[in-house]
Amino acid sequence: MKRESLTSGALKRSRWIGAKAVIAASLAVSSIAIVGLGSASQAGASSKKFSIAFVVGAEADPFFQSMYVGAHAEAKKLGVTLIWQGDPVDYSPSTQIPVVQQVLAEKPSALVIAPTDTKALEPYVAQAIKKGIPVFNVDSGDANQKNITSWVTGNNVQGGTAAADALASALNYSTTCTSASPCTVAVGVSSITTSTDAARLKGFDAQLKAKYPNITALNPIVSQSQSSVAQQGFAQDISAHHLQGIFAIDGTDAEGAAAAITAAGSAGANIKVVGYDAYASNIASMQGGKIAAIISQQPTLEGKDIIKYAVQRLKQGNAKGIPHLLTLANIVLTPTTSQATLNKYVYTAS
Amino acid sequence: MSTSIDTLESVGPSALKRLQSIVGNQQFILLLVLVALVIFFGERNSLFFTSSEFSNLLIDFSGLALIAVAETYVIISGGIDLSVGSTQAISGVGGGFAMQSLMNHHMSETGVLLIGAVICAGIGLVVGAVNAVLITKANLVPFVATLVTLSAGAGMALVFSRGAPIGQNPEAVAWSATGIGPFTWLVIIVISITTILGITLHVSKYGRNNFAIGSNSFAARAAGINVKRHIASVYMLSGILAGLTGMFFYIRSGAGSPQVGASSNLVAIAAVVIGGASLTGGVGRITGTLLGAGILTIVTDGLIFINVQPTWNQVVVAAFIALAAVLQSIRPGLRS
Repeated sequence: MKRESLTSGALKRSRWIGAKAVIAASLAVSSIAIVGLGSASQAGASSKKFSIAFVVGAEADPFFQSMYVGAHAEAKKLGVTLIWQGDPVDYSPSTQIPVVQQVLAEKPSALVIAPTDTKALEPYVAQAIKKGIPVFNVDSGDANQKNITSWVTGNNVQGGTAAADALASALNYSTTCTSASPCTVAVGVSSITTSTDAARLKGFDAQLKAKYPNITALNPIVSQSQSSVAQQGFAQDISAHHLQGIFAIDGTDAEGAAAAITAAGSAGANIKVVGYDAYASNIASMQGGKIAAIISQQPTLEGKDIIKYAVQRLKQGNAKGIPHLLTLANIVLTPTTSQATLNKYVYTAS
Repeated sequence: MSTSIDTLESVGPSALKRLQSIVGNQQFILLLVLVALVIFFGERNSLFFTSSEFSNLLIDFSGLALIAVAETYVIISGGIDLSVGSTQAISGVGGGFAMQSLMNHHMSETGVLLIGAVICAGIGLVVGAVNAVLITKANLVPFVATLVTLSAGAGMALVFSRGAPIGQNPEAVAWSATGIGPFTWLVIIVISITTILGITLHVSKYGRNNFAIGSNSFAARAAGINVKRHIASVYMLSGILAGLTGMFFYIRSGAGSPQVGASSNLVAIAAVVIGGASLTGGVGRITGTLLGAGILTIVTDGLIFINVQPTWNQVVVAAFIALAAVLQSIRPGLRS
């Protein structure tokens, strides 16, 4: 009996210690979350009249962080509330749809969305429009989608074409790549199903076929948005194929490519890399001689323009004067680009 | 004459048993699969047999081996650690900030990397200690406890890094390619660590306790083993190894990325399972885990090497995991 009582006491103490541990862990996690929420809520501090919900995919990506800078500045300037949301990591409709549903429940004046899958998001876009909420697309989208008010995006096919031109130029195509001795290039993508990657690859392949037939592109490696996975794949291509060049289709692939040719030493010394997205790390790699050119989008401008059009639509009550599709040009950055221009286009979170 | 016939008769069945034992040994089968894969990829592209490719395979294998060994300790003890991937991320990011600061103060590259390794291991130790507290004090099951730290670690890595890689250290990347022949220093360090941990697991009292707890924790407690303290130490060891893996990827890529290790917990568990460990605990071998990690590395890298469409990659990897599981299930039959 005494033993049972002791065991019970020990069990209670154990449970109490366990409960304390859980409470302490919960408090720690909650504190961090509250600090994070505190800084996030600053985005909505300028609430006046209209509120614009802005839902992106993979929110922590420097591309979307840079888009936030433009959207936030424009929202503040025009005196509207910005509700900025998105899954921090996953670029997927399965994680984006619940976020869209949540922000629609807040009854925003307008919805801006970077759809991770245009078809999968279409019912939610229709639902918003039915409630009288105008919808705008940014970055990804579908040119045939008539019910959205406006779509601001970079031209991904043109970006792929520009990448092919930049790579051919870096390779000194006319003398290096001949029919007797063609050049081989590796390609890295984050996902073969993402519309932006697919469009860039389409532009790249079409330009090679049209203007640079002596360049052969290997099957793309898939990095799943992880630079270490991209690096592992590029290292295999370097060993297997006597590569002359690499087209890294987005920022994380460009990071992986720069690391792979550095680690390859002499085998990687003459490999020309053309990357996409002006991450600060990629600009540094270009200045260090590891990347020959970077195709930069203009996410800050995309964020700014789409907020401008959303507010215009809300103020005037119709879409008059608002372009249904605005395509922003991609910028080719090279080691000779001025520091002022690099500072203008580098993706920044502040 | 009759004596020699007797000897032959006695040797025959014994040799047959030995042969059956070898053929029925899972690690022998895994070794055969690994050799067959090497021959297959080498047949498709002879550059697969070059020193540079061997070096590539070794370094890719090493990144997986370290966390697979950590997972082996945990799984043999009857638990599971889902947080090894996010621990890599938070360690790489935390270490990246620290190393960036040290580089700004013009510390030597060697000093930066050594201190960085200690910091990454320390961050991993903290995550492992949180796991240990949640499991041994709060009595959460390991799956739930490490799911908590998996999410918290991945989230904090993103919060602190704001999604961008931390630090730019091309000298570290260049160093990652140096060593003795195809054996880079990184690979040599990982092989040394895994050898020590392999010997510890299979020879020392600590290792025997690990198997005993995984087989039957009540019996282990009755035998005088401090089960909770041992379990806590296993998760802290796992955290340290995951932290060092974060440092490994910092050196390979020259920066601490918050995205690193996103799926590596599942790959590490796959390597352990292919290697013959039981998810119910008490069974497993470091050599089996290393063979499992080797097979996964060769399949993943080899498919890129022979320029297979990327859509096939996951299907082929899944097929090999299934094949290994089938071999494991028919193993007792072979033995009998």
